[in-house]
Amino acid sequence: MTKTEYTRFYHERNRREMPLKNESAAVMLPNVRTGEILGLVETTRRLGSPLDLSRLAIELGAKINTLLPILDAAEMLGLLKVEGGVVGLTEFGIKFQNATKNKLRLVRDQLAKIEPFNTALALSAHRHTFSSDEVAETLSEKGVQWHQEPEVNQAVVRGLLIDWAIHAGLLQYIATDKFRKGSTQM
Amino acid sequence: MSKTEQRIQSAPSKSDDDTPIISVENVCLNFEREHDQIPILKDVSLTAAAGMFISITGPSGCGKSSLLRIIGGLLTASSGTVKLHGSPITEPRNEIAMVFQNFVLLPWKTALDNVMFGLKSRRDIPDEVAKEKCLRAINEAGLNGFENVYPGELSGGMKQRIGIARALVLEPEVLLMDEPFSALDNLTADHMRTEIYSLLINPSSPIKTVIMVSHNVEEIVELSDKVVVLSARPAHVVGGVDIDQPRPRSKKSEKFFDDEDRIYALLS
Repeated sequence: MTKTEYTRFYHERNRREMPLKNESAAVMLPNVRTGEILGLVETTRRLGSPLDLSRLAIELGAKINTLLPILDAAEMLGLLKVEGGVVGLTEFGIKFQNATKNKLRLVRDQLAKIEPFNTALALSAHRHTFSSDEVAETLSEKGVQWHQEPEVNQAVVRGLLIDWAIHAGLLQYIATDKFRKGSTQM
Repeated sequence: MSKTEQRIQSAPSKSDDDTPIISVENVCLNFEREHDQIPILKDVSLTAAAGMFISITGPSGCGKSSLLRIIGGLLTASSGTVKLHGSPITEPRNEIAMVFQNFVLLPWKTALDNVMFGLKSRRDIPDEVAKEKCLRAINEAGLNGFENVYPGELSGGMKQRIGIARALVLEPEVLLMDEPFSALDNLTADHMRTEIYSLLINPSSPIKTVIMVSHNVEEIVELSDKVVVLSARPAHVVGGVDIDQPRPRSKKSEKFFDDEDRIYALLS
């Protein structure tokens, strides 16, 4: 698969709410779950990295448009590379797969640079607690949205913050939709 | 080889002690509809010894889940007995925990409270000790940091982790799992199978035997030591398959395909 085809699929996928609007230079994590990334890295290694994207899709019984955002997120985190239709784990991806516990803490630094985590961390720097809706609103003001419907967009941001930021130790979940900065210890 | 894989490889796949922990003896189940008796299970017998991961499979709607509920003491058999260490199971027991397909979580309770709910039946445990046990189970199930999150805010994989933590907190000898990965997407399920197997079956785990209901033959061959295949309703045991492969198992090996074939042959 060429990069052009990859890009076309990326934009045509229909299952997920993907980054809809990005009027800034912000890098946005696609709306994927940590379990999908963990499973992707594990499966890629089990099947033998590098391997054809088409084979990976067949093995997983996944439609290519379902798989692409997950691959995109994994690439963003430096876990694997997709080039010319071939998927390969990076050295960091191998280290990630070999880790026994708290694997997602290893991608903490990468997550901190991308949205919605970057904005959440900025809010946490001067606020004791904050909500995911405030993060979504701040991002919308910068022209960064995952969905055109504000309520759906807020749900996507909340889902990403809960699933990724807590696992990675970037944020702590205090009470209903109340976050604060996570522990600095790895 | 990752450390998880090493744990799986070193896990006791079979015990020298073949004394059954669970024995299901000639269990029949009939449901009543108006004045009719509808037979669901007919003379089903199986045993689960220490260190064994047993899977029960069969056609959809044949009564697999009903059988699991009878083993768990949640449903009463019309005839026949289920025994735990030789003692008949007539009601839910602390030694037996269950993980459900659709998680069965209380949406108004946080992850921690859902896990705490698992210990409600243990009135002998002081609250502080109970909380400590729950936090430990949450950590083991990979939910550290999610104590205050509500189930509705979590993905399917994370919800199932709460279900697993709720079962683990009981420190059960027997874990029953009803299609635990079927509500998850393929990638999440793939990852969780590996992780959960190493969590459940290892020398430091209190769990001595696992009985899983599943219709996913690949999953069954990946996880099980022994497979019990049921017929269509009224379900009876049509055969058993012993899976004797080293762990972690390669889904591409000839033996893996052979074992899948043996199960499909019994199913068809």
